[in-house]
Formats: sequence, C-alpha cells, structure tokens
Amino acid sequence: MSLIKKPGGKTIEVVKNLPRITLANLRPNPGAKTLEKRRGRGMHGGNRSGWGHKGERQRCNRPRLGFEGGQTPFYLVIPKYGYNANHSRQPQYPPLSLRRLQYLIDLGRIDPSQPIDLTQLVNGRGVEIQPQKRDYGVQLVDEGADIFCAKVNLEVQAASEKAIAAVERNGGVITTSYYDPRSLQILIKPVPFFMPGEPIPKRLFPGEDLLPYYTDANNRGYLADPDKIQTARMDLAKKYGYSIPDISKDTLFEMLVQRKNPRHIFFGLSPGWVVNMADKKILKPTDDKVLQYYGS
Amino acid sequence: MTSALRAYMTLEVTGVSSNMAASLLSRRTASSFSFTKLNSLLPAAVIQIANYNPRPLRLNLKDPYIPDKESERTPEWQKTEKFERRLFGRYGRASGVNPVKLWPSAARLEELMAEEREWHPPVEQMLQNIAERQMEKEKRRIEREKTIAESMAKMPKLIADWKKQKREAKQKANEEKQKQVRLLAMARERFGFAVDPRSVKFKEMVAEIEKEEKKQRKLLKRQKKEEEQTSITPTADSSQ
Repeated sequence: MSLIKKPGGKTIEVVKNLPRITLANLRPNPGAKTLEKRRGRGMHGGNRSGWGHKGERQRCNRPRLGFEGGQTPFYLVIPKYGYNANHSRQPQYPPLSLRRLQYLIDLGRIDPSQPIDLTQLVNGRGVEIQPQKRDYGVQLVDEGADIFCAKVNLEVQAASEKAIAAVERNGGVITTSYYDPRSLQILIKPVPFFMPGEPIPKRLFPGEDLLPYYTDANNRGYLADPDKIQTARMDLAKKYGYSIPDISKDTLFEMLVQRKNPRHIFFGLSPGWVVNMADKKILKPTDDKVLQYYGS
Repeated sequence: MTSALRAYMTLEVTGVSSNMAASLLSRRTASSFSFTKLNSLLPAAVIQIANYNPRPLRLNLKDPYIPDKESERTPEWQKTEKFERRLFGRYGRASGVNPVKLWPSAARLEELMAEEREWHPPVEQMLQNIAERQMEKEKRRIEREKTIAESMAKMPKLIADWKKQKREAKQKANEEKQKQVRLLAMARERFGFAVDPRSVKFKEMVAEIEKEEKKQRKLLKRQKKEEEQTSITPTADSSQ
C-alpha cells in the first residue's frame, strides 16, 4: 500500500505545514468590512448630497406636523364632538361588588336581617355616594358572585344579570330603584335633612330615558309588574341552573317581602312626615289638603 | 305604619339618648327583634352586628337660642317662617314654634301641585310618550324599507335604459366620425391634396354640399307631391 495510515489523515499534514499565526498573515473575511461612504464628492450626489441650495430643506427647519403654511390647519377647523357629549347628563353609579357586600356582612357592618338600602350601605361605610358628582346611586357588580352566600333584601340602583342571579340563588330579594338627586341626598344623609325641620318630600319618578329600565322585570325594577318579576325569577333560575328557595316559608319572609312605595324614600316613613331629632318624635300631618298632596 | 309605630315605641321604652337616623329606627327594632326571637336560628356571623356610632348632634338643649321677634337687634332672616322651622327642627317643642307651620300652607300647596303637574308627568303619560316615539320610529323604518323595495324592483329596468342610452350615444358618435372621414375624402378628391378641416376651402365645400343636399331633398319632396297628385286623379276618374 502506498498510503501511510495516520490518525487525522490529511488535515494534520496540512496544519503541520502552515506557518505560525501572526498579525502579518491575518485579514478580515470577505465582506466583513464595507467602505465608509463619503458624501459630497464626485459627479452624482456631490456637493450638497441632495439637500438643496437654500431654504428650509438646506437648514433642517421645516414646519411641524400639521402646519399648513399659516392657514387654519385641518385639525382646528373640524369641531370636536363625541367624547364629552352630554357629559353633564350621564348618571354615574359607583360599583358595589358582591365580594365587598359579603365582606361587610361578615364584619357586621351591614345587618342582613333587615332590608338593605343606600342608608345602610352609607352608614356602614360600604360605599361613598356624591350626588354633586352625578352619582345616582350604587350598582351591584357580579365580582365575587361565587362566594356570595347571604340572604338579603337588597335595594340598589343598577344590577347586572349575574349579580341578580347570585342574590336570588341564596333566597334573597333584589330591587332596582330610582332616586332623584334630592331624594338621594336625603337618603344617604338623613340627619342633616331632619335638622331644618322640613317634611319628607315625595320621591320623583325616573325620566323617559330611564323609565324602561325600571319598568323591566328582568332588571327587577321597582315599577315593574310583580307577576312578571316572579316569572323573571323562574326564568333566571332556569338559565343559570339553580333552584330558588321558597321564601314564603322562610322565617325571614316578613323581612324579605318588604318593599318601598315608589313615592317613599325611607322604609317605614311616609312623605309628609316630620322627624324631630330633639324630641325623638315623628309628627304626621292631619290636614286633608296636605295629606292629598303628599299621598298622590 | 306598623314598623314606624314599632320603632317609635321602642324609642320611648328604651329611653336611650339616640341620635340615629330615622331609617335606623327600623334598624334598632329589627336588631332587637332578631336578638330576641331569631337569635338561635340565625348563623353565628349575623348575631354579631357592629353598632352604628353616629356623629353626635351638638344640640344646645339646655340653653336654646330663641330670637325675640319684636326686638330691632334681631336680624330679619331670623324672623322668617323658614327659620322657625329650623328652630323646631333643632330644639323641638322647647322652641315654642307651632308645629302647624312645618307643613306648607294652602297657597303654597297650590303652587307645589301646579309645578308638579307641569314638570313631573305621571308614569302612564311617560309610558305613552315612549310608546308613541317607538311607533313613530317603527313607522319611519317601515316606510324606508318600502321605498328601498320599490327602488330595488325598478333597478333592472333603469339599468337597461341606461345601457340603451349609452349604446345610442356611442352609435351617434360613430356616425359623426364616419361623416367626417367621408367629407375629408371628398375634399381630397376635389382639391387634389389633403385639406385641413379648419381651412376656409373645406368649410365652403361643406356649405356647398349641404346646399346640394337641400336641393335634392326639395326635389324629392316635389316628386312625392306630384306622384300623389297623379295618383289622386286616376282615383277620381275611376270614381266618376
């Protein structure tokens, strides 16, 4: 055989014959370095490199985006609209989640053995209502619906479908009611209203934009038909897959069926009555005209 | 009524110096009720109800300030009925104010009723307005849909008409073009070279041609008339 057998073969032979690596025989790989481009030389693109001879382009001070040479720019000619339309007429409802409601009940700040309305929630420091900032009450949101287990007679101003289902699943009752701003102020702070010695006013009905909401049984509106509300309760139970406890046999039935008259602000107090904090008495009118006015 | 009376009696019985809100009068009753009767039935968490600690009312009941109405030094605003109501609200019967003044007078009631009639319609009226607006909207929608249906029904015919009109216009343009070409050819025959359509010679030639055409048309009309006359006389002869 003419070939000599060695480990590595030809590669080792090649490496053995190469000179030692020094700076003198190193150079970059082809394409590793590109020549720097010098501007302003030669026939094409020379001198000013495309920046013109005078003026704004040469001096890099062109006007700002949107400027139109002094005439009123487009974005100022077209009027604004949309975002703030009807801002002062949009009602606001601070949220009250079922998680927070359960928390308040567990801590004893809200008494579930009697009806819960805004007065209870505000006195228990559960929510903060500011009628001056277009707050129209509280809305019940369904966060914490899976941990809610209290049986309550609840009155809120807006409620989502899931929240309604969560309350009714535990044998509770929920109502959505409207309070005009004056009644709302009285409801959340009764004592400052009683001090001037004025009779309790009548609660007003909602306007035509909110009336369909409060006459809808699916929202448990306080102006809705009680029979339709009962049907809606059954339909909701069927939809969410729970069975409604029979509250007529409940020990708290008397509490659960308590409902305010659409013209009343407080439970147990009628319009026209005067509550006196100094004497701790309730004065009721006896004049026929006064009774007629407050009773209508 | 019942709950209010119950709350009222509870206050009398307990005699505690309570500054609670009126709606909490029911709360006290409910609490007592729950503790006395339902304590064993409620879950443990419900029994422990945190007491509500209201802000104390700073009522100076020992030495109430009641302004003298006859005195000149008393400000005018302290002699008004509104201030009297405020006094009653603050000091109760100790203020000496007649409780009858707490409610509006007959004249004031008339004003309030008129204002309510004007600005706050009853629920039935509002529901009727909403229904009317809904019906109006529905009617407008139905009319619009009817208009759309009629227009869609007419659309194929309108499309055909438009295509026909377009075809006729194109045909007319073609005829005009051919006429122009024919005239140019005729001019070349007559003058022996290509004539510019804008030159005077071309225009004169066109005018002459039109004259000749007019003459021919007149001759044709005369021939037709003569033929008619000749045809009429034989019929007259035959009738005779």
